[in-house]
Amino acid sequence: MRFQDAARDARAVVYAGIQADPQVRRTATLLADASPSQRILARAVMNGETSDPEIWRAMFPTLFGPDATDDAAGLHRSEAILAASLEVADRGEQVRSQVRGALVEELTAQLLARRVDAAAVHRERRVLFDGVRAEIHPYDVTVEREGAAEAYDCKWGARGINADVLHQLDDARAHAADEEEALEVALVVFDARRSCDVRLARQTAPHEGTSLVTIETLDSLAASRSAAPS
Amino acid sequence: MSDETTSEAIERALAAYVVLEELGEQIEDEWSYVAELTDAWRTRFDEVAAHRGDGELADEVSAAVDVAIDEIARIEDPHRAIDWLSTFPQVVLLALGERP
Repeated sequence: MRFQDAARDARAVVYAGIQADPQVRRTATLLADASPSQRILARAVMNGETSDPEIWRAMFPTLFGPDATDDAAGLHRSEAILAASLEVADRGEQVRSQVRGALVEELTAQLLARRVDAAAVHRERRVLFDGVRAEIHPYDVTVEREGAAEAYDCKWGARGINADVLHQLDDARAHAADEEEALEVALVVFDARRSCDVRLARQTAPHEGTSLVTIETLDSLAASRSAAPS
Repeated sequence: MSDETTSEAIERALAAYVVLEELGEQIEDEWSYVAELTDAWRTRFDEVAAHRGDGELADEVSAAVDVAIDEIARIEDPHRAIDWLSTFPQVVLLALGERP
């Protein structure tokens, strides 16, 4: 098993520009330290129609209401997440969608870099196996370590879970096992576990060996493996 | 405190959720997913209503449900509606002080 940079086709070049957008890194950094409630705020605002921050503050009384003023640091972070999310929402529909996808990838990479050496965390990589035709699509995030490799696909919403993604992750896991290499595979979805479970239940593609990380459990990416989700 | 109970707020939220569901159902390939997704979240709302439905809500919680309902009423795109079929319940449950 070995890792390789993805081919730089036209789509990859355009998307690399989105990934390199400072707004993506800045927002992901805020979300890396956010609470589950603050992450739901970000999801709602970036999916939302209204650009009036007062409406969003009213919609999240646990973050901005009377009781929230006791936690100045938390309130400050909620305000920063609201402002950053409104900036993302203000982009055109197509760019907004790309930014949201890149954001989940960057957030995943930042959280993983809290658990492993940051130099081991890579983006847009293919995983190659002897005698197996390489997948066309790269993995969003990989952790490349001897004897403890990991591959992640990242999705903004549960609806992004599909057969192609599940097959790709499971194929990599199975091929690694054939070579007696350890490769953990997981799907990171910036959506509720309940919605992901509904989507997964509809899939016939193999996913028993694929972990699922959802908006409630993102911090497990940064936690020691014994605390990671199964 | 508002004059509204948790059950009443959930009832209002679910009425708005039906309209969102109908919009999402316009994506034919996702029709059954939409049905199963909304069933799953209705089940969660029903659990909360059964557990603490008679409890009165603070003014800001009742107002939060109002603005969440207003937000989904603005949605015209069925794809975005499907996104909100997952997001709206999380927002409302959070406002009610419940785990999504």
